[in-house]
Amino acid sequence: MTAASVPKLARGCRLSEDGGEGWVLLIPEGVMRLSGPGPQILRRCDGSRSLQQIVRELADEFGGGDAARIESETAAFLERLRERRVIVVE
Amino acid sequence: MIPRPQALIAEVTHRCPLHCVYCSNPLAMRPRGEEMLADAWARIFREAADLGVLHVHLTGGEPAARADLEELVHAGRAANLYTNLITSGIGVSEDRLDRLIGAGLDHLQLSVQDAEEDPANEIAGARAHARKLGLAEVVRARQIGFTLNAVVHRQNLERLEAIIVLAERLGVDRLEIANVQYYGWALENRERLMPTRTQLAASVSLVDAHRARLKGRMRIDFVPPDYYARYPKACMGGWGRSLILVDPCGQVLPCHAAAVIPKLSFENAQARPLRWIWEESPAFQRFRGEDWMPEPCRSCDRRQEDFGGCRCQAFLLTGDASATDPVCSLSPHRGIVDGVTGRINSGACNGASWVYRIDPVDRR
Repeated sequence: MTAASVPKLARGCRLSEDGGEGWVLLIPEGVMRLSGPGPQILRRCDGSRSLQQIVRELADEFGGGDAARIESETAAFLERLRERRVIVVE
Repeated sequence: MIPRPQALIAEVTHRCPLHCVYCSNPLAMRPRGEEMLADAWARIFREAADLGVLHVHLTGGEPAARADLEELVHAGRAANLYTNLITSGIGVSEDRLDRLIGAGLDHLQLSVQDAEEDPANEIAGARAHARKLGLAEVVRARQIGFTLNAVVHRQNLERLEAIIVLAERLGVDRLEIANVQYYGWALENRERLMPTRTQLAASVSLVDAHRARLKGRMRIDFVPPDYYARYPKACMGGWGRSLILVDPCGQVLPCHAAAVIPKLSFENAQARPLRWIWEESPAFQRFRGEDWMPEPCRSCDRRQEDFGGCRCQAFLLTGDASATDPVCSLSPHRGIVDGVTGRINSGACNGASWVYRIDPVDRR
């Protein structure tokens, strides 16, 4: 995954609010509970934003921070989801 | 602390145009006249969502045998559930698929019986294979999740690679390769379905190789045949722990097969609140937790991983639903399972003919 990659939730995967218990990612074979900035990242994986744009928006939303670190952690998170075929990259 | 259920398996009908020799429906099926109407299902979906359920799997029989399937999909999605249709594809035309998607369908799971037409149709007892492939192309052109499910057994494992290649060609997101589980109709046909040890070993390495090759493109889930396992499967994630099954007439069960267990009284969701049935009914409490466990489960380090295995399998093979699952190598009844696999691997079991699943008949 590079800064120019455009990650998108795969078909059949969607974010959902789980009552009062935060956000979950509903996937064909079950449920992934999301913690930390997971929901904020995945909400932006709509096929229109590049990783670089997502990182920029996250830095704004969370009030700055180390952009290089946000990028590497976001990329690693999305890469793990890509291996599970929850995220596809265009 | 009572666990929270994650998924509702909604057996909306037992009617089906296929007659698969390993059907997971019970031998005693519900006729059409006993099926619940859509509004009763909608209420159950809402009660399930209140209980914490996130997924509804619409299954059968063939759910598309119901004229009101669109309403059921709509009700599932309206209850904020991830809505999955498990189908043979028969009864789902292109127009109907679009109506189902319009009603909120998230995902479709299509079954195939083989990669080749003749053996596929033999297992299904119906000329269905070509129609399934036709539907698959239409589904793939839509924006919903798409899983291909292939049940595997001794008669088709030689074509496992062809099944994987077929799934890849159809462009599915996920392929589920599930070995037959021996309940109901499958138990009737066990002698012809059970794979050999050699087939199992070959299939495991084949799946591993293709998984690596297809990583990030197509997910492959593999359900091994538990008769060859050393320890039992955590059947349904444990009795009354994560899954609720509701049959066509509203009877609430912890799994597909549990109605075979004698002396358990399963409640009906039309008569009682689903929450009460899940949390308090005697049948759901019967094998929940550890208090019911015999040795060797009771003192076993794995008791919170496999929950003693499958209660239905324990009953079907030993006559005692509270016995340790006999596929466990620690079970005093393991000899029953070894006897079956020994017979299969000696090559002595091809003689019997298929027992095909029949369709439920309305009592007059």
